[in-house]
Amino acid sequence: MTPRPWLHGFLDLCLLAMLRDQPDYGYGLAHRLAVAGVADVPGGTLYPALLRLEQQGLAEPSWAPSDTGPRRKYYAITPAGLDLLAAQADEWRRFRDGVDSLVGSPEVAR
Amino acid sequence: MSDWPARFEEELVRLGLQPARARRLSAETAEQAGEHGTDPDRLFGPAHLYARHLVTELRAPALVSERHVSGPVMLRLAGVGKRYRRRTVFSGVDLTVRGGEVAAIVGANGCGKSTLLRVCAGLIRPDAGTVHRTRRVGFVPQDGGTASWLTADEHFTLFGAAAGMVPRKARSTGTHLAARLAWRPAPGQPVQQLSGGTRQKLNLVLGELHGPDLLLLDEPYQGFDQGSYLDFWQQVRAWREAGRAVVVVTHLLHELQNVDHVLDLGAAGGNR
Repeated sequence: MTPRPWLHGFLDLCLLAMLRDQPDYGYGLAHRLAVAGVADVPGGTLYPALLRLEQQGLAEPSWAPSDTGPRRKYYAITPAGLDLLAAQADEWRRFRDGVDSLVGSPEVAR
Repeated sequence: MSDWPARFEEELVRLGLQPARARRLSAETAEQAGEHGTDPDRLFGPAHLYARHLVTELRAPALVSERHVSGPVMLRLAGVGKRYRRRTVFSGVDLTVRGGEVAAIVGANGCGKSTLLRVCAGLIRPDAGTVHRTRRVGFVPQDGGTASWLTADEHFTLFGAAAGMVPRKARSTGTHLAARLAWRPAPGQPVQQLSGGTRQKLNLVLGELHGPDLLLLDEPYQGFDQGSYLDFWQQVRAWREAGRAVVVVTHLLHELQNVDHVLDLGAAGGNR
């Protein structure tokens, strides 16, 4: 699984990307992150990050009832969130390609 | 564990959140635990520690690239001077430290570093200048401040009580903070049986027990072994990232690359 410090840096990016695809609530997002193989995100990391997105106007919450338990707080991405996501996604790709070019080069594998 | 939300809410308020917002966050936290089919204690750990964590997270800037935004001013010295009889210890000292910043006070032995730190803490009144500081301050003296016949747990309880914490919470917080310095206090062991380095760790834990916004540290790593020393600077970075302000008296110049402000009190002997 992903080392904690890495996750910390990229969790917000992953959350915004998932919310771009569809609004979701905390547990659903945790599940999607795990299924994608990114990380098992502890609740104490996930929920503060969501609150931060909300506080900064990057995601908008709405409440919906659930069949099984308490009501759920669903988050949808805002226009500001989409803008930031686009910028961050570019930055992420540059970073990823850079690391790939170093990790993947045969000189390193010696 | 049914009082978890109440304790969580209470700690959020103590940390400066509006009561209405604290109540909302507490209710939401219970619902989040419900999503996972568990109780808040299982999902988030002790209520007061999660409250601190959450407040820290909410203060932190979003996303990777926008790191290190300085927070509100936690300490401001303007034209501060101190004399002992006719000898000027220092004069004209200006220093502003914001949340998320670390300041180092350096200088030769006897130039008044510890005196200046005590002025910052409000323990000594300066002869000139003004000192403004935030309300919640943690002060870690170079030595002393602990009672040799009491155990670490008893210190947590005692110092916690002074900050209005109930004994159980003070003990769990103290134990948690000690663990970050790779120290597990042995039950029943009086402080006089601890090594100098471990006693220093106790001082550090006691200074941070009440979650201060400004930490004043006087060479707090004396007697630390190499590993503990690294843990200490790691802890300083964690405090800084949590938006706290740190002022540390040090004579170790190689650490200065990691700090935001360096205040050099100059050579000893009142050359100012």
